[in-house]
Amino acid sequence: MLSAQERAHIAQVWDLIAGHEASFGAELLLRLFTVYPSTKVYFRHLGDQPDEVQLLSHGQRMLQAVGVAVQYMDNLHAVLSPLADLHAQVLRVDPTNFPGPSHRPLLRQLVVLASHLQGEYTVEMQAAWDKFLTGVAVVLTEKYR
Amino acid sequence: LPNHPTLSLSHRVNVEEVGGEALGRLLVVYPWTQRFFEHFGDLSSADAILGNPKVKAHGKKVLDTFSEGLKQLDDLKGAFASLSELHCDKLHVDPENFRLLGNVLVVVLARRFGGEFTPELQANFQKVVTGVANALAHRYH
Repeated sequence: MLSAQERAHIAQVWDLIAGHEASFGAELLLRLFTVYPSTKVYFRHLGDQPDEVQLLSHGQRMLQAVGVAVQYMDNLHAVLSPLADLHAQVLRVDPTNFPGPSHRPLLRQLVVLASHLQGEYTVEMQAAWDKFLTGVAVVLTEKYR
Repeated sequence: LPNHPTLSLSHRVNVEEVGGEALGRLLVVYPWTQRFFEHFGDLSSADAILGNPKVKAHGKKVLDTFSEGLKQLDDLKGAFASLSELHCDKLHVDPENFRLLGNVLVVVLARRFGGEFTPELQANFQKVVTGVANALAHRYH
């Protein structure tokens, strides 16, 4: 599914994020809640107005999971299986929230990458990450029914 | 719909560059969209697409039209009515493509403006591109 070049682009971008999972994750969540306020319904446990500490903590957890997905991008099923169970049985986030060309909110969070990497965010990186996140989303939602 | 906070960035946008890059990235990231542009010549690689003069020219044209539409934020459906009919009746473009292009445009703006492209600006632009996409889909039948 992913070519060698695509894998390289994905890893290249991840290298720029690794070590900064908390701040990237917090910004991702902040943008998600600002641009798509309806997504907050899935984060009630963070309270009505999540503070910086909560965003950093939860953001870090989310991005660490992305990091695991990057590490095992050829075997997403195995490594994301527990998260797939969680999303299907406990969280039950509507699948339209997940990345995919016709799915909206989380994919738009590639904006975070674009705004941080700017000139370095090549079209090849954008294409590879778009495809990769779509693959992650497929695995995360495949146990829904 | 948002008002001037969005337009404060708009006047700093180089329509030719941003339009060309947005259309180019659309064609690379979502290759099936190339189906509308087979007559544009060389689309064989990312570099070819992004450097293609027809892609750049068309991207500029699209963004020019988009910018014109921004002047009528309170009546986007009216502003884009005839374009909507054109895309349905003559061009046969699935409206999903308008959403895709709008989203790519937001990414391109984020690239350009970096940290200045705050979550609030992103939210405003997202509303605008969604509004334009809906307006372009409105006359489909």
